[in-house]
Amino acid sequence: MKRSASNSVTNSDVSNKKMKTTGEEEGSEIGFANLDENLIYEVLKHVDARTLAASSCVSKIWHRTAQDERLWELICTRHWANIGCSQNQLRFVVLALGGFKQLHSLYLWPLSSPNQHGRLGKDELKLSLSLLSIRYYEKMNFVKRLP
Amino acid sequence: MKRDLHQFQAPNHGTSIAGSSNSSPAVFGKDKMMMVKEEEEEDDELLGVLGYKVRSSEMAEVALKLEQLETMMGNVQEDGLAHLATDTVHYNPAELYSWLDNMLTELNPPATTGSNGLNQINNSFFTGGGDYDLKAIPGSAICQRSNSSSTPNQYNKRLKPCPSPDSMVTSPSPAVQIGGIVGTTVTTTTVSESTRPLILVDSQDNGVRLVHALMACAEAVQSGNLTLAEALVKQIGFLAVSQAGAMRKVATYFAEALARRIYRLSPPQTQIDHSLSDTLQMHFYETCPYLKFAHFTANQAILEAFEGKKRVHVIDFSMNQGLQWPALMQALALREGGPPSFRLTGIGPPAADNSDHLHEVGCKLAQLAEAIHVEFEYRGFVANSLADLDAAMLELRPSETEAVAVNSVFELHKLLGRPGAIEKVFGVVKQIKPVIFTVVEQESSHNGPVFLDRFTESLHYYSTLFDSLEGAPSSQDKVMSEVYLGKQICNLVACEGADRVERHETLSQWSNRFGSSGFAPAHLGSNAFKQASTLLALFNGGEGYRVEENNGCLMLGWHTRPLITTSAWKLSAVH
Repeated sequence: MKRSASNSVTNSDVSNKKMKTTGEEEGSEIGFANLDENLIYEVLKHVDARTLAASSCVSKIWHRTAQDERLWELICTRHWANIGCSQNQLRFVVLALGGFKQLHSLYLWPLSSPNQHGRLGKDELKLSLSLLSIRYYEKMNFVKRLP
Repeated sequence: MKRDLHQFQAPNHGTSIAGSSNSSPAVFGKDKMMMVKEEEEEDDELLGVLGYKVRSSEMAEVALKLEQLETMMGNVQEDGLAHLATDTVHYNPAELYSWLDNMLTELNPPATTGSNGLNQINNSFFTGGGDYDLKAIPGSAICQRSNSSSTPNQYNKRLKPCPSPDSMVTSPSPAVQIGGIVGTTVTTTTVSESTRPLILVDSQDNGVRLVHALMACAEAVQSGNLTLAEALVKQIGFLAVSQAGAMRKVATYFAEALARRIYRLSPPQTQIDHSLSDTLQMHFYETCPYLKFAHFTANQAILEAFEGKKRVHVIDFSMNQGLQWPALMQALALREGGPPSFRLTGIGPPAADNSDHLHEVGCKLAQLAEAIHVEFEYRGFVANSLADLDAAMLELRPSETEAVAVNSVFELHKLLGRPGAIEKVFGVVKQIKPVIFTVVEQESSHNGPVFLDRFTESLHYYSTLFDSLEGAPSSQDKVMSEVYLGKQICNLVACEGADRVERHETLSQWSNRFGSSGFAPAHLGSNAFKQASTLLALFNGGEGYRVEENNGCLMLGWHTRPLITTSAWKLSAVH
C-alpha cells in the first residue's frame, strides 16, 4: 500500500486500532509500536511539532517516518493563512533551501515557544523563510566559478 | 543604594558625602571630615527580635567591610594571609563589626588615622605645573592597596568610597601604583592649572568618574591643551580597567581613539582593509539584530515597490557579502504569480588583495538563484567612493521594462566628508529613476562642527550600542562585533577631514537632505514593522530592543534610544 496523501484515515479507525492493540498486547504481533509505516505516517499527520519530534525517538521505523518532509510541511503550514504563493511554490523553495524540518527546528520552533503554544502565523513563517535562505547562502560552499 | 551608606562613613573616613556637592576644587582629604551626619542609634529591629543588639548603622558598614576584605584578600601581594586562615564562628552579630575591623587593620597597616583602614585619604599635594609624571611620586605616598575595589565590578556598584572629592580635571592620581593594582582611587585634588569650573560629583562611583574623565579629556583636546589631555587619557585608562562589561569596553575604545588624536597617530588602516571590515561586519551581523533589521525592513520596502513588476533590478551601494539578497530572492521566488527576473548590481570598494570578491559574491547568489529557480543577472562594480559612479556605467534599461530599486546600508554618511559628493550621488540616483530608494543609517548626530559635541553624542550612542551587545552570548562573534564598532569609534574621534568617514546624522537631518534634493518619503508599511518585531523575538527574547515607527520610517533602538533607522524614498512628483 503506497503512502497516499489521502486523509482518509478517520479518528475512529485509529482509535479502533489502538484499542485492539492494547487489548491484545501480550503475544500480539501488531503492537502500536510495530504499526505499518504508512499507518504511522497517517497518525503523525495529526500531531503537533513536539509530539512529532518525540515520535522520531521511538524506534528506527518511527524515526524514518517522522523525518518525512511532508509531515513537517504540515506542521509549518498548519496555521498560516495564505502567504500569497501556491503550495507547490512554497514546497519547492523550502526543499531547495533546506527543508521544512530544518525550517521548523531552526526558526519556527524558537519563534513559537514564547508565544501561545504552536501559534505560527504568517509573519513568523516569512521571517523563518528569510533566515533559512540566509543560512543556506552562508553555508554554501562556493563551488562554481562562472566563466 | 547609596544613600544610607554615605552618612555612615562620614565620621570615620572623611569622605565626601552626597550632600556636599558644592565644594571647591582645592580640598584635601581630612578637611573633608565635615558633614558628619548624625548616626542613627537605633538598633536593628529584626535582629532585636532574635535577641541581638546591633546598630542599624553598623550593619551597612559590616557589609561594606566584608566587601573590602574580600577584595583586599584578593589583592594582597605577599603571603600575609596565613594568619587569617582560621575558622571563626560568630554567634553574635554585634561582634562582626569589630572582628572585621581587626581583620582589615591587620591586612592594612594603616598609614593614616585610626580609621578602619578603609580609605586612604590621599593627601598628596601635587601642585600642577605640568608635572604629570607619575614616577615623580615618592613611593610611600602611594597607596599600597587598592582602596577602590580593584576587581572589575559591576558598573554601578559603589566601591569603597573615595577619600576626597574629585574634580575630574586634575592631575593624575598618585594613588595609582604602577604595574600593580589595577583599580585606583583617583583622588587628588590639586590646584589645577585649568580655570574652568570643575564638576564636582558624587565621586563614589567609578563609572561616573570615568565618564567625566572622558568628557574632560575631549574638552582638553578640543581646546588644544594636549598635556592635560594626555594626563587625562592615562587616567581614563586606569579607570576604564576598573569597570566591567560594556562601560569598560566603550571607555577603552574611546580612550584609544583620544590617544590617537592626541599623538596624531593615524588609526590603523581604516580605509585600506576592506576584507577585514567585511569580516567584522559579518560577525556584527550574527551577534545582534541591527543589520538584520536593516536588511529585512529594506527588503520589505523593495518587495512592496516591486509588486507586479516582471523584471526588477536592484542597485546595491553596500554590497559587502551580499547578505541582504538571499532573503529578497526567496521572497521573490514565493511571490504570487511566480518570481520576476531579478537583476542585481553590486557596488563595493576594492579588495585589499585585488581579488574580485564582488564577483565571487555574485556567483554565490547566482547559485542560490538557480536553486530556487529565480532568473538572475549580476554585475559588480568596484569603486573607491560612491561619488565615482556614473549612471551611464550602470547599463540601465528603459523603465518600462525594468523597475529599479537603489539600496544603501550605512554607506551614505561616508560621503558627507567630501564636498559635493552626496549631491553627485543623489544626482545619479535621480537619473536612475528608481521606484524606491532604501536607506539605512545610524541614528545619531556625529557630524557636528564642534568636536566635543560629536564626542559626547558618540559616547552615548556607542555606550548604548555596547550595552545592547552585552546580552548576547559571549563568543568570537561578539568580540569581533565590538572590534567592528571600535573601528567606527576610532575613526569618529581620531580622524578629521576626508579621513573621517563615520559622519552619522539623524533621520531629521537626512530627511532635510532628501527633501531638498528632490526625494519624497515612501512610508514603510506595517508588514515591515511586523517582520522587525518578530525578528527581535529571536534575539534574547527581544528584551530591551524596541522598534518604533517615525514618520513612515522604522527605527530600531535599545530601550529608549533609537540606534538605526530604515527609511525609503521615491522621486518626488516634480521630477
